[in-house]
Amino acid sequence: MTDYQIVNRVRELRFFADEMTQQALAEQVGVTRQTIMAIEKGKYSPSLEVAFKIAQVFGQPLERVFQYVPGQ
Amino acid sequence: MDISYKEKSAWISLVSTVLIFGYYLISLTGLSDLPPEEGKTQALWLLGQTLLLTVIVEAVFHAMLAASNRRDAELDGDERDQWIALKANQAGYRVLVTVIWVVLGRMVILEFNPQFADENSSIYVPMLTVHLLMFGFIFSEVVRFGSQIWQYRREAFGD
Repeated sequence: MTDYQIVNRVRELRFFADEMTQQALAEQVGVTRQTIMAIEKGKYSPSLEVAFKIAQVFGQPLERVFQYVPGQ
Repeated sequence: MDISYKEKSAWISLVSTVLIFGYYLISLTGLSDLPPEEGKTQALWLLGQTLLLTVIVEAVFHAMLAASNRRDAELDGDERDQWIALKANQAGYRVLVTVIWVVLGRMVILEFNPQFADENSSIYVPMLTVHLLMFGFIFSEVVRFGSQIWQYRREAFGD
């Protein structure tokens, strides 16, 4: 059975959002900066609510920010 | 080093618990030389002092931490902090349950074998059952705080 993992484009989207800081994104989403950092590193998978909020901040559909792909 | 508010809070709790109850343990061993009644009074007094000191130290240091990190203190952790706290609680709970079973077993053994009672022991510690439960609780707290810190550090430095 193939193992899947959640990957995201949060770092890339922050870059294209005028290099938005992790702190700014964290404040808009309502989490700590360390949580944004953990999400970007792939160390933490956020809840659906936080994932939707992140997508909303960047004005993107959820699946353009988070993808569920086969692992290595 | 990038440390979140909740991780700093866990560090404060871990260090203060280890130091205060380390002192408590060392002081407790000195009570074995006292006569039983005086030993009980001193042990109770020591327990009260330790609990009071814990409350004061935790309150002072957490107030200082909250004052220096006002924004993070208002947020009071997010879903990731709650998830880490939940995992840490599970680890601490396992330790607590194990200690309670051990103490229960000891009480049952003493009930049926009075020759093993504390008074007949060569190393007499006043109110030993109370201290065993107390240390079980403290050990579970240390495991809980340690588990929290370990998970935060694991995320910070990788697996």
